[in-house]
Amino acid sequence: MQVEYPKPKWSERFLLLDMLEGLKTTLRELFRPKVTIRYPEERLDPADRFRGMFRFSFDRCIACKLCAVACPIDIIYIDVHDEQREVDGKMKKLKVLDRYDIDVKRCMFCSLCEEACPTKPKSIWLTTKTYELATYDRNGLYFNMQELEYWENRPEFPGLPPEVEGGEPPKQIPGAAE
Amino acid sequence: MNAWMTYLVWPLVKFLVAFIIVQVIVAAMNWVERRLLGFVQARLGPNRVGPKGLLQIIADPVKFLLKEDIVPASAEKVAYFLGPILPLIPTFLVYCLIPFGPPPTFVAARVNVAILLVLALTSTGVYGIILGGWASNNKYSLMGGLRSAAQMVSYEVPFGLSIVGVLMMVGSLDLVKIVDYQATNVWNFIPQIVACFIFFVSMNAENNRTPFDLPEAESELVAGYHTEYSAMKFAFFMLAEYSAMLVNCCLLVSLYFGGWTLAMFGHGLTSSALRHWGWIGGLIGTAIFFVKVMTFMLVYIWFRATFPRFRFDQLMDLGWKWMIPLALGNIFVTAIFILAGQERLMYWIGIAVLGAVVYYMKPKRVHASRVSEA
Amino acid sequence: MFDVHEMEVNFGPQHPSTHGVLRVLLKVDGERIIDAKPIIGYLHRGTEKLFENMPYPQCIPHTDRMDYVAAATNNLGFVEAVEKLMGVTSQIPKRAQLMRVMLSELQRISSHLLWLATHAIDIGAMTPFFYCFREREQVLDLFEAYCGARLTLNCMRIGGMPDDLPPGWLDDLEAFTGKFDAAVDEYESLLTNNRIWKRRTVGIGVITTEEAIEWGITGPPLRGTGLEWDLRRAQPYECYPELQFDIPVGINGDTYDRYLVRMAEMRQSNRILKQCIPMVKATPAGEIKAKISRVIRPPEGEIYHSIESPKGELGYYIVSDGKTQNAYRLRVRPPSFVNLQALPVMAKGHLVSDLVALIGTIDIVLGEVDR
Repeated sequence: MQVEYPKPKWSERFLLLDMLEGLKTTLRELFRPKVTIRYPEERLDPADRFRGMFRFSFDRCIACKLCAVACPIDIIYIDVHDEQREVDGKMKKLKVLDRYDIDVKRCMFCSLCEEACPTKPKSIWLTTKTYELATYDRNGLYFNMQELEYWENRPEFPGLPPEVEGGEPPKQIPGAAE
Repeated sequence: MNAWMTYLVWPLVKFLVAFIIVQVIVAAMNWVERRLLGFVQARLGPNRVGPKGLLQIIADPVKFLLKEDIVPASAEKVAYFLGPILPLIPTFLVYCLIPFGPPPTFVAARVNVAILLVLALTSTGVYGIILGGWASNNKYSLMGGLRSAAQMVSYEVPFGLSIVGVLMMVGSLDLVKIVDYQATNVWNFIPQIVACFIFFVSMNAENNRTPFDLPEAESELVAGYHTEYSAMKFAFFMLAEYSAMLVNCCLLVSLYFGGWTLAMFGHGLTSSALRHWGWIGGLIGTAIFFVKVMTFMLVYIWFRATFPRFRFDQLMDLGWKWMIPLALGNIFVTAIFILAGQERLMYWIGIAVLGAVVYYMKPKRVHASRVSEA
Repeated sequence: MFDVHEMEVNFGPQHPSTHGVLRVLLKVDGERIIDAKPIIGYLHRGTEKLFENMPYPQCIPHTDRMDYVAAATNNLGFVEAVEKLMGVTSQIPKRAQLMRVMLSELQRISSHLLWLATHAIDIGAMTPFFYCFREREQVLDLFEAYCGARLTLNCMRIGGMPDDLPPGWLDDLEAFTGKFDAAVDEYESLLTNNRIWKRRTVGIGVITTEEAIEWGITGPPLRGTGLEWDLRRAQPYECYPELQFDIPVGINGDTYDRYLVRMAEMRQSNRILKQCIPMVKATPAGEIKAKISRVIRPPEGEIYHSIESPKGELGYYIVSDGKTQNAYRLRVRPPSFVNLQALPVMAKGHLVSDLVALIGTIDIVLGEVDR
């Protein structure tokens, strides 16, 4: 299919109608609504599946380390040890999490860790609609287990949805117990 | 004593009033341009600094004044300092000559060769650019400055030639008489529509505005004559550009669009009608004049938003091969009509062109990449 | 050596209009370009070496970052290549194929919109930039609703898709396709008939079909010369054989033709999207992954698979040794890298002001050129 070359008539060439057409378009646009969002007073609400900052749930995590294996950049640091614990009257060997740290400054928010998590609902999830993560200090971006769960000293983004896909309703008061 | 008042003090006062008003407009133009460009481009312009961004007008000069003034070590000092000032002074002088309202109150200096003086003064703006480009001791600035100077000089010719048609019809070089002529006949852009178009295009090229803004474009290799200037000197170049734009718009309105009058064939708000109302009439005339001038400044911004820019050789082609022959042709045709004594027949030229534009601008156009599609 | 009239000028890596960090070494005679040598490597990140150290599913986010403007097509090429190596191409469910095609065509629209925006602003027209980005925002919102990210999508998996479509996505897509034709009309009204635009683009950067084939140029630069070669027709993949669309070709091979070809491609992509929507609604919801194991270990062998990305032929060459989960060698054939070879050919004899238009018309993305 060959593209059509526009064939201007002599009237268009003389009377500069092609330029007038462009001028008409810009004049029409002058009266249409503008698309600027005046951040930070107005904010766009990200979609429900938006891949933002992580949340972690210690209670649901089974310490299987699948998320650490799945991460392309290896920024999830997990330490576990085995323990004998009493569950339902029997002694079972369980894995207990010692350390679950994420180095967020190298994260690319690809959510491969969230996909790899086998628990239902997931123990790590990114659908938190939080993208304002800037800090003044580099170490502020290295999150350990407590920070990932309780999000202490994090500004709560006002748009957090009540039901997060694969997750639980996030805490509104930082530091409050579940 | 009276002579001192009439010939020195009073014109100086008028000039200062006009100067202050015009400088306020030029400063506001910065805000108007950015805001209007934004609105055409589906976004808001500056809107954070004050209510609707109005304090931007103050914030920008404050920034320019407080910036560090970097002077290149190997620049030619005298020429470097003269560079921004030279385009500015003649443009300020022109405000004496332009009639803002009905004479004798609203013209600072009524000269009977006004147009000639105005053209001569605005032409000297080229010196500042050449000096600025050369004094920067930067071969790209020099090339940019020379290109810009070549562009301005080569568009001076159609600028001047397009006025000749108007002068022939009116018979005088005095701007006041030209405006009065338009009040008693139609506005000059109808019989001289081709000349008006050439004048407008040459104005755009003179002021380095899109589509002729190659010397100022960032996306070219050569950065332009004002690369090495920082802070206030750069602001002077920008000020000179906006002042020149305003002066040219005032000329356009006076020559082709009726100046401060709103009359046709002698009926309406002519000079005498306005003078009948004393100084209020004069103020009304000035208001009409400024409304017209601001409309054309907005048209400048409209053009900047819409068109891509010409390449330099295409720009020079346009000036020398199209604008000048057209202007000469216009003079020729006007001369024929005047010799035959049938000046009024020229009005049909303008009406025919405008009618053809309205007729041929059909709303539906088939675009090139449209497909026969499902 | 140098003639006395020649000057060597650096069109440096830091320049507002080289679309990334590209350095062009120009030999000019006054204003005429005698030779233009592109020097690349300023954005090299060692992607292909990184690929050798990570298992296949982890490579997908890294392929996003090569041609960061059109991430979904990068993902698609990689995922299809691995599936072909594993031999599971026929097992991909229909819904997943349709979703892949839809995302890919949306990405084509988004990439061409960005191209038009930057090309126009380099030549001096400011407003198409903002209008194109306004439409691009709508496309990126669609992507965000589907996979959660706007630029680095990570939206395809080996064997299918990660998630099903969210509710309401197809309605949003239908609304977008309804309005998009009028938007393209608007861009065309500003540029196509405009005589200034035509003066800047007609006759600039002419390349003939023979030269294009010699240098290996594909995509819109090749189709602008008049050859109807599109991998979606020549080597069909996914469900393209069932869709009806035309392949626009140009006549002279200059910048104006390439501009017209890309505008027509945007309209054709819109047409494909409109056809896909009812087809997706007809497939059962939820079937988005083929039944393959979670651990991707392709058999030993090598394969080269290429798809039609918005910039040209994007190819992946994978050598697998059958034992590990990583590729032994993964080589990417980026279209921009090969198309950039056309720059010295096109630039000879033109002015320096045209160089900017030429870099824009080849449509390079430095992330792809340097990897």
